[in-house]
Amino acid sequence: MRDLPELTPDERGRYEWQLSVRDFGEEGQRRLKNATVLVSRIGGVGGSAAMQLAAAGIGRLILVHAGNVRLNDLNRQLLMTTDWIGKPRVESAVRRLHELNPHVEIETVAENVNDSNVADLVSRCDVVVSAAPLFSERLLMNREAVRQQKPLVDSAMYELEGRLTTIIADQTPCLSCLYPEPPPNWKREFPVFAAVASTVGSLAAMEVIKLIAGVGEPLASRMLTFDLRDMTFRTVPIARQPDCPVCGA
Amino acid sequence: MKLRVQYTAQLRAVVGRAEEVVELSEGGNLAELLNLLADSHSTARPHLVTEVGQVRPSLLIVVNDSAVSAREAAKTVLYSDDIVTLLPPIAGG
Ligand SMILES: [Zn+2]
Repeated sequence: MRDLPELTPDERGRYEWQLSVRDFGEEGQRRLKNATVLVSRIGGVGGSAAMQLAAAGIGRLILVHAGNVRLNDLNRQLLMTTDWIGKPRVESAVRRLHELNPHVEIETVAENVNDSNVADLVSRCDVVVSAAPLFSERLLMNREAVRQQKPLVDSAMYELEGRLTTIIADQTPCLSCLYPEPPPNWKREFPVFAAVASTVGSLAAMEVIKLIAGVGEPLASRMLTFDLRDMTFRTVPIARQPDCPVCGA
Repeated sequence: MKLRVQYTAQLRAVVGRAEEVVELSEGGNLAELLNLLADSHSTARPHLVTEVGQVRPSLLIVVNDSAVSAREAAKTVLYSDDIVTLLPPIAGG
């Protein structure tokens, strides 16, 4: 507790309604303030996770996403604004997040995760939110997070369905345990409502808050799957693969 | 014996339904079920099995409440009224 940053009076006022959360309190808030979260892609899922984390008072966010805002981002990428079409996505995100919470320090990287930046990015964070629309990026992020022993929340969606699991090196299955080969027929453009993407992103943010503040039980060795078409949610136990090339012994 | 098979995500889209009841011979296993499904839903085949008929390693399979990996599929004997949920990988962000 002594090593954690103090809360300012303004922060104490801002977070007043969450300081009474059981097992969270002022220490939890100071843990959040002390933490850095890396968000890989700030589209529908990652953008909503970033928004929730900013609201909760994460100290520092590293937002990783290439490209400029496009018209057809706006049905789901809630950090993007109409007046920012044609301009960098990460700039729109910083503006939106700072409108909500100016206390959050935000670093932006206007490229996607790749072989040359992933090690450095992961080394500078405490927890990863993985929300890229490509398996290659997710598997790369998984490999690096496992290597550097950083918890990773993998959050994914398709149409009205979502899936979430928290990966902790040496304890839980990793993404390569689940997907030992790149899936043969994943299409980059997937059907999506913001309401679904934001649900997954919000759940991912809750996992991150729990991990950092030490509240509740993380979604470790379990996968949450849900289908908003009929509002069914289920949690399935998942197992490590002993010969996994990423996390296998 | 009759089993219930549930399709999710892209599989649901290519099969065109969320669920069906499937007849599998008594003592049949999960690998046999997936090959049977690949035969009856040709557009879904690449999601279910490889070119040589092995269960697709990236397919998440849940039998009742337990996840079963592709490599265990041939050893996983199924029983009447089992519910098999098939979850193809998704990465929408
Ligand atoms: Zn693994």
